[in-house]
Amino acid sequence: MIRPELLSRLCNARDLLRDWQDEPFSISYVARTSGLTRFHFVRLFKAIFGETPHQYRSRAQVERAKQLLILTDLSITEVCMSVGFSSLGSFSALFSRRVGMPPSEFRRSYRPSLAPERELPASLIPGCLSLMAGISEKSNFREDKSET
Amino acid sequence: MKIKLSSIMVENQASALAFYTDVLGFKKSKDIPVGEFRWLTVVSPDGYPDVELVLEPNANPAARAFQEAMFKQGIPLAAFEVEDIEAEAKRLKRNGVKFTADPKQQGPMKLAIFSDTCGNLVQMYQPPQNGA
Repeated sequence: MIRPELLSRLCNARDLLRDWQDEPFSISYVARTSGLTRFHFVRLFKAIFGETPHQYRSRAQVERAKQLLILTDLSITEVCMSVGFSSLGSFSALFSRRVGMPPSEFRRSYRPSLAPERELPASLIPGCLSLMAGISEKSNFREDKSET
Repeated sequence: MKIKLSSIMVENQASALAFYTDVLGFKKSKDIPVGEFRWLTVVSPDGYPDVELVLEPNANPAARAFQEAMFKQGIPLAAFEVEDIEAEAKRLKRNGVKFTADPKQQGPMKLAIFSDTCGNLVQMYQPPQNGA
């Protein structure tokens, strides 16, 4: 059983994984902050949060980069540095793999060209249950229960 | 007015579907693409087939902040009823599920709390048996 203080330390470790901006990044260090060996930390993190610390960090970096690309005027290189990458090549490769397009194309596609106040487009921040409004009329909302 | 939908926010809809079906044992009901995300619901195989749980993306930064804070405080965001909480806990643990509270009698109910691997703590409860 995971006791409250360990749960809290794992949550702090998750914050650290997300917010750590300097290279080199060290999983062993983050593990130590939660009082666990690297091996035990990685296993427990995956069992609780559903992905390894590395997977979590990569996803958080990409999410943060998406926001910066839309909300700020930082160059792609600056975005890359701000989310904790030192190599533009590996940042672009990770971003493309996860998002399906390179950072420059993502910025062109989602950034409103004429908005004085930048904000994330609604399509990227679904509100509570508002997704329902986007279901197309072709989808059989009532009767596709047989599908598995 | 009827209660037919409830929702829980999840980090990743694909892995959430796997956990809620393969591990918890719910059945997929709706899976409809909506833009970047999916309208994704599961139903309980042995409960009320017309009550659906929406596995809702937590891409909204405000939603994520709320979810992370509740998780850290140890507070579950959903509760599911079971007939035999000890057996369910054993079954889930065999599948690698991590509990923050093992089954325990609390007042008239037996309660347990586990992590759903999608960013939430979930409570299981066993209501009092008839005559018990």
